[in-house]
Amino acid sequence: MTLDMSVRLGGLSLRGPVLAASGTFGYGTEVPLLERRALGGMVSKGIFLKPRQGTPPPRIAETPSGMLNAIGLQGPGADALVRDYAPQWAKWDFPVLVNINGESAAEYGELTARLDGVPGVAGFEINISCPNVEQGGMYFGNDPRAAAAVTEAVRKRTRLPVWVKLTPMVSDIGVIARAVEAAGADALSAVNTFVGMSIDLNAYRPRLSFRTGGLSGPAIRPLAVHLAHQAARAVDIPVVGVGGIMTAEDALEFLVAGCSAVQVGTATFVNPNAIAEVHDGIAAFMAAKGFASLADLPRYLPRD
Amino acid sequence: MESGLLLRDAPLTAAREVARGMWVLSFEAPEVAATARAGQFVNLGLEGFLLRRPFSVYRAEGERIEVVLKAVGAGTQRLVSMRPGDVVSCLGPLGHGFDFGGRGSWKTAVLLSGGLGVAPMPLAARDARAAGLQVTWVHGARTADELCSESDGDDVIMATDDGTSGFAGTAVAAAPDADVILACGPNRMLAAVADRWPEAQAAVETYMGCGTGVCLGCAVPLARGGYDRACTEGPVYRAGDIDWTTLPSHLSYPVSA
Repeated sequence: MTLDMSVRLGGLSLRGPVLAASGTFGYGTEVPLLERRALGGMVSKGIFLKPRQGTPPPRIAETPSGMLNAIGLQGPGADALVRDYAPQWAKWDFPVLVNINGESAAEYGELTARLDGVPGVAGFEINISCPNVEQGGMYFGNDPRAAAAVTEAVRKRTRLPVWVKLTPMVSDIGVIARAVEAAGADALSAVNTFVGMSIDLNAYRPRLSFRTGGLSGPAIRPLAVHLAHQAARAVDIPVVGVGGIMTAEDALEFLVAGCSAVQVGTATFVNPNAIAEVHDGIAAFMAAKGFASLADLPRYLPRD
Repeated sequence: MESGLLLRDAPLTAAREVARGMWVLSFEAPEVAATARAGQFVNLGLEGFLLRRPFSVYRAEGERIEVVLKAVGAGTQRLVSMRPGDVVSCLGPLGHGFDFGGRGSWKTAVLLSGGLGVAPMPLAARDARAAGLQVTWVHGARTADELCSESDGDDVIMATDDGTSGFAGTAVAAAPDADVILACGPNRMLAAVADRWPEAQAAVETYMGCGTGVCLGCAVPLARGGYDRACTEGPVYRAGDIDWTTLPSHLSYPVSA
């Protein structure tokens, strides 16, 4: 039996359901040892219009089954992305979405206009969920009107697929999900990191210079599965599950919980070939269960 | 992208204590051993810990690589309690190592290590001699029983802060000048190195995530402003290029400067 691992979602055709999550795959040129045949797509490191230095170190701290990070969206800015990375992406056999950031809805729109039509840019993932910037970021993501305004600003500037990456730091993710769906999003990525804090008992102060950081890794997986499921129940557009996926079984939990695809992030830091292992494990599961395509996988998705 | 990068399971073959609480662990990793250069590191993964731990390659001979460490946290405690045959996941060799020979005019090298800063030095001594350099190794610690018992150089100078062995004072103060200075140790020591020899090559230690250049967790503050990655552009830097005042150390114990 031939196995169909492809998915169509959010305006894109992907050869497989496993994407590289933003911030864990650089601009796609950095990760060694990955068998790229398994990569359904990639979301770039978050980019702003202008270059950003990021936060002072320490930027990361290990926590039980997880890690905190506060990188602060260090990046070279849109012009360098267009010059140095997009030309390489244009030659690759998987789509690259650019994770876009701004301090105002207008800035998101301006960045979208700068990148729209650049060969190699297949779509956008709007980051309204970064916990590690002073302006914007997560603060757009926990206000449905602000989230919709940013989505609209981007939507107006492009006909490419627009995904919105949601923050878990909300009381009802369904409210935000519906707001950005109404504003024109093609898909949702759920979820970004949780805000966390860890204290250095030698220094009597936070272990991260930014004080707080985004918690990722297996520690957040059940929380993320729940939130992705809640988002999927709330909207008609596809949801891409992300949060602590280390293995194929973890990814399958998100898929059964109602997601159309998944993103693997922190796992890549630990095992550079994690994405391929997740992809191959999903294929093995489907073969063992007798499913011919991902559409055959049973979903647990009672509607709201 | 590192073309020679490898991901292998590596069994522990032996362990020895080289100073009070300082252990050298040997792992069977023949392909890594064959290609590792002085100043490069491996990122070791342990069952039960999410992130890998970076260690300079201490020695690389035949089938084996060695790393040196102290038990300062749960991960390093696990490592020193491993028994022969226990396996780590070894990712490496990573980073850019020391430069020994761009300039034919170099004749003498000083290897300068403080405490656990011995980590890259046996390999540095090997590669420096292979490049035809006369090697002086200056090693410092707080007190005599914290001095690493293994040294390798045409000339070896020991220094202790409390004067219990060798030169009474810091390794930096004890060191002669040379055509090339290679240094590793606590940031306070490396800052002193940068003051005396801005051209010295300093191997830095930072918090680190992936080790492969992706996560941007190992940010090194540069004197000219901005950050780059210890795992990729480093871990060896021109000493004068680092903003030593803002580079945090994750060494939770004091080490001689």
